[in-house]
Amino acid sequence: MSTILECNDLTKKFGSKEAVSAVNLKIERGQIVGLLGPNGSGKSTIIKLANELLTPTSGTILIGGKKPGVATKKIVSYLPEKTYLNDWMHVNQIIELFSDFYDDFKPEKAYDMLKSLNINPNDRLKTMSKGTKEKVQLILVMSREAELYLLDEPIGGVDPAARDYILNTILRNYNENSTVIISTHLISDIENILDYVVFINQGQVVLTSSVDDIRNEKGKSVDGLFREVFKC
Amino acid sequence: MPWELKSDRPIYTQLIEQIELMIFSGVYPLGSKLPSVRELAQVAAVNPNTMQRALVKLEEDGLIITHRTSGRSITEDARMVEMAKTKLAQERISEFLEKMQLMGFEQKEILTIIDNMVKEMKK
Amino acid sequence: MLSKLIKYEIKATGRIFLPLFLALLMFAGITRFISPLGPEKFDTPAMISMAIYISIMVGMFVMTFIMMIQRFNKNLLTDEGYLMLTLPVKPWKHIVSKLLVSMLWIVGSGIAAIISIMIIALKKGDLTKIAVEFATFHQQVYEYLGTSMYLWSFEIILGILITLASGIMIVYASIAIGHLFSRHKMLASFGAFIALSSLSKILITLISLTPVFTYFSNIHISSNDFIGMQHVIQWAIACGIIFTGLLCAAYFAVTNFILSKRLNLE
Repeated sequence: MSTILECNDLTKKFGSKEAVSAVNLKIERGQIVGLLGPNGSGKSTIIKLANELLTPTSGTILIGGKKPGVATKKIVSYLPEKTYLNDWMHVNQIIELFSDFYDDFKPEKAYDMLKSLNINPNDRLKTMSKGTKEKVQLILVMSREAELYLLDEPIGGVDPAARDYILNTILRNYNENSTVIISTHLISDIENILDYVVFINQGQVVLTSSVDDIRNEKGKSVDGLFREVFKC
Repeated sequence: MPWELKSDRPIYTQLIEQIELMIFSGVYPLGSKLPSVRELAQVAAVNPNTMQRALVKLEEDGLIITHRTSGRSITEDARMVEMAKTKLAQERISEFLEKMQLMGFEQKEILTIIDNMVKEMKK
Repeated sequence: MLSKLIKYEIKATGRIFLPLFLALLMFAGITRFISPLGPEKFDTPAMISMAIYISIMVGMFVMTFIMMIQRFNKNLLTDEGYLMLTLPVKPWKHIVSKLLVSMLWIVGSGIAAIISIMIIALKKGDLTKIAVEFATFHQQVYEYLGTSMYLWSFEIILGILITLASGIMIVYASIAIGHLFSRHKMLASFGAFIALSSLSKILITLISLTPVFTYFSNIHISSNDFIGMQHVIQWAIACGIIFTGLLCAAYFAVTNFILSKRLNLE
């Protein structure tokens, strides 16, 4: 099936607040998609719903045609905004953990990337700076050969050189069967690598378009359009 | 280093221009093999699908040829390249001439300025 | 997958408990050797060593309690949950792996404590004496009870384990219920714990008021008639085990439901 992520009237309420409102979305395989919107617009909520970290209030979300569960977790590689690594582990222990639980994890890739970023696999996570831990997390996520990568703010707290490395890593891992969804508000940095963008505001999809269509029809970059659409 | 890409024009048209320049200037000589779409996309730091569109257009224009088993290469037809090069030059020059006319220059003045500048370049 | 989870759970917790066990046994040994004249002669080094030993012992048991809570709360319901709960594993396996490893360390602490006491208190020939006495006891019990001795031992061990599991599961369920609240989660967990304990006590009282059980409480157990009473007592213990087992299952169901369908990681 070529649709890797599908939302049908997806709604999520927290108490009386609707974080996600009747969202309808279809994302195909082999794309790099930007999920763009201001803070609190519902991007992270949709991603958590896709990972079964939240359950929908109504509507459905399907990954490769299936509801979130053990089968979808096997093919989804998720990078949350937070640091989720156990402090006491050494890097090679967390690599072992990923190898144990994920059939599609490739330790060689991970060790390669660690080397390029000068991170010692024997180091304890506790001793690392926040930025380094984030890089380790990204390496773990990108070393899986998943069908859907969900990256929540992957370049937020990172220096420009590392940003380039991260974008390059995403491109290097690209294949026609898998899709990368990047949720961010740092649009100008990633615009060039996106096929397709989804603008979200207050839990609703405001716009979906290919990047080239935006530039053709509106004569401005996605970043420019974003500023226009989400003017304060 | 990622290629210089402006943010208000479609990326794939800019990619087409960049690759054409590289063909005209000999960075990609006639008949040479082109790297894969993925590699090119990585080097340019753009989406592989976008790079693919650019390459397909270049193929339609005859500058690039796809071989069934061995990927893509630059055409060996030197005339084709010359024609495309001339066409691009004409487009650029007509843009330039338009701008000069807006500034109020006359044909003779334009030619004199160009002549002087080219002489400076040769030195 | 369950065995892998257990493996990681043991790795994560063993690095705390194994050194503790070691320290406990070490200080038991030190205390013993410092006071060669026996515990009657209390000189200062021996007292210090004894004090340290006792603190380690207390610390060890406190640690089993803290770890039990921490491993469930921190590892599943805070930031680490983003990693654990996106692993391709059903939530019940997470619950079971943590339950089993908590039980492991509680039993382990008990055994370590007993061994350390033996190290301190036993005199030279004591171990052999105890072994002989135990063998005699074993023989006597076998003569008295016959093969039902094994059934008894099995029942008693099962009873202990089920009670332990139930005690842990009620804590997990309370933490899970607390997680449902957006603020004051700790308070809510405490409240849930109190509510669940009270509920189970009420249930026991209600059940013991039914006619079947009033019959039991009226039976007078006399040592002369123990063999005859055996079946009745075994039945009573079996009912206790079944009841505790059902409670345990109920707490498990609540915890599993919350983790599967009502999760809300911040």
